[in-house]
Amino acid sequence: MTTGNCICIHSDVNSMDNVDCTFILNLNVARSGSNRCLFSSSDFFSHSLTLSSPSSSAAKVRACGPKALRGPTSTLPFPFYSGRPRESVSKAHLQIDREVDVVVATHAYGNRSGVRYMTSGLKVYYVPWRPFFNQSTFPTLYGVLPIIRTILIRERITIVHGHQTFSTLSHDALLHSRIMGYKVVFTDHSLHGFGDVGSIHMNKVMQFTLADVSQAICVSHTSKENTVLRSGLAAEKVFVIPNAVDTAMFKPALERPGGSEIVIVVISRLVYRKGADLLVEVIPEVCRLHPNVRFIIGGDGPKRMRLEEMREKHSLFDRVKLLGAVPHAQVRSVLISGHIFLTCSLTEAFCMAILEAASCGLLTVSTRVGGVPEVGIRHNLSVDVWFEDKLSYELQYLTNSTVVVLPDDMIVLAEPDPGDIVLAIQKAISMLPKIDPQAMHNRMWKLYNWHDVAKRTEIVYDRAMKCASQSLSESLSRYFSCGAWAGKLFSLVMILSFLFWHLLELWQPADDIEEVPDVIFSHNCEGEMMQNPNNGNP
Amino acid sequence: MLDFSLFRMVIFSISNARYTYVHDQKYSSEDVDIHHIVSRSGSAKYVFVYATALLVLACALYLYVLKETSISLVYYSLLFDIFIVKLLLGKPVKKESVVIMPAFGVQLETHYVSGKVIRCFVPIDKILKPVLVECVTPVTCYWTLSLIIRGESEMVLVFKKLRPPVKMLVHVWKALCAATGSKEETFTHAE
Repeated sequence: MTTGNCICIHSDVNSMDNVDCTFILNLNVARSGSNRCLFSSSDFFSHSLTLSSPSSSAAKVRACGPKALRGPTSTLPFPFYSGRPRESVSKAHLQIDREVDVVVATHAYGNRSGVRYMTSGLKVYYVPWRPFFNQSTFPTLYGVLPIIRTILIRERITIVHGHQTFSTLSHDALLHSRIMGYKVVFTDHSLHGFGDVGSIHMNKVMQFTLADVSQAICVSHTSKENTVLRSGLAAEKVFVIPNAVDTAMFKPALERPGGSEIVIVVISRLVYRKGADLLVEVIPEVCRLHPNVRFIIGGDGPKRMRLEEMREKHSLFDRVKLLGAVPHAQVRSVLISGHIFLTCSLTEAFCMAILEAASCGLLTVSTRVGGVPEVGIRHNLSVDVWFEDKLSYELQYLTNSTVVVLPDDMIVLAEPDPGDIVLAIQKAISMLPKIDPQAMHNRMWKLYNWHDVAKRTEIVYDRAMKCASQSLSESLSRYFSCGAWAGKLFSLVMILSFLFWHLLELWQPADDIEEVPDVIFSHNCEGEMMQNPNNGNP
Repeated sequence: MLDFSLFRMVIFSISNARYTYVHDQKYSSEDVDIHHIVSRSGSAKYVFVYATALLVLACALYLYVLKETSISLVYYSLLFDIFIVKLLLGKPVKKESVVIMPAFGVQLETHYVSGKVIRCFVPIDKILKPVLVECVTPVTCYWTLSLIIRGESEMVLVFKKLRPPVKMLVHVWKALCAATGSKEETFTHAE
């Protein structure tokens, strides 16, 4: 198993001032001496961290495995509902549970800044870089290098794991980490186009970031295909690990909502990408055909106005309820008030919302786009991904997993066309009496759980750790091949980053940055204290 | 006239490249506990800053005398030098001390190189808890020791100017916890 440290960077920064602090009332130190992980993602809020893993009650950070830094994502924070931050957080929690020590770095949100300790002892750095557009920080290229370097050194990080394409903090952190010699893993959560100007530029940036990445993770095979085509990354470096769902949190109601009414729940960002326009056309038609159907719509966005106009135009005030933004902690209570979950996304790499709805015992109606048809298929890493160690433990574990395709009784797919969606809803309504929410929940619990995802992510970290270290010239040759002009530009950026890094080494040597003592949180928060403060430098 | 400094007894001391931590007791009494963090910043920084300032002034003078530019350039360069020296060097701190008088209070002192001393007294019953905090700025991350004060939203920094490493802060923190009556049993468990 990996014994590295991994960093997960989430770009979620809350800054009151430039210096913001959080409390560590007492610190227990458990020296581990192995790898640590830092995750980087953009979206991180505390009420998403209610993951109740079996060992969460133990609340003990096992500081003896890899430590990962998870990198930043630009996932939209609440109130823009999104599955990705919870997924990253859940993964981070579970990896704390296992052999990987995880630290998360993100940019600040609102008044949340500094260092915070979450459930199960997960440490989060909210770096006070203000987001300037759509919760994404300004692309300063070298601005984050000092703080990222400080965090990587003080947390004794080994692997840097970045999320999301649109996170500038993530991209910057991954590039600088690579220059500094850390192993880098990238997870892509979305599907993106190729045709429009924005996509072309974003794909070029992604090609730059992924040119020298150790490994990459995608959430579905469709997403893998999309990522490989966009970035030019070698397919053998990309793993497919679908998201899981916190089945302990998303449980069906003890009693199904009764009565003759059928409630259809929609929870998504009300944006073009998520098919809000389709919703505007589908809802009146369904209401006309089925007088006993009600809609509950959770989420907010620019298309909300259109939905309100639709409601007014067809006088559906008593049949269509707009809840506005729904905090993650309340999503379950909204879901269990319904019978059917509807999603009309125009593009979806892997829909977490469907898993959550299925876990709550709702029948799902979804558009057949992206990775949605793969939901319900138990994913294996392809055998051809492993070129060496074919008889390794990891491979045996993976190939022994069976392929399970969910029957049509859990999800009804439709083309992204209003008429087809209406037909699918009608089919779902006719299937409703045969649905057993608890049986659906049990099936989801078996197929999708975070322990499995954490285990598979650790396998990816193992592979990343086994990658050979590269010198600057080898890395530069990869950047150079990104394009005629782009390649030269990227190489120049990396050379400047390298020089800046060495300047920082002179200004503030790594020896001056003291390492953080490990923390043990006991059940009783009072019973914490610091041990072994001499882990740092004399 | 008795020299009370003779009664100072050094109990414990740690040093690194930039700071020295000294724990001593005054008057051979176990009641009054004093912790010092002494700055050992080298002269390299001062030499560099003053050399740069001198260079700027020399260039301005050269331009004025030989190239016959206006005198205002010399004035501006002088102003720039003063600004740079103030910005980079500021008011140099010699040491910061924490005098812990149990059942009475905690005195925080900042001693400057110029001889000036700034003192701040916090009564013991106003201190809720001393805490070790990680502070994150856009460019760095460091540890501080702070006191949570009852009825105040702002914490009081124990070491206001210096940034000693956490292994030095821990000793002061433990002493403050002992003096303020914060959980003691966990210390013995940890040790």
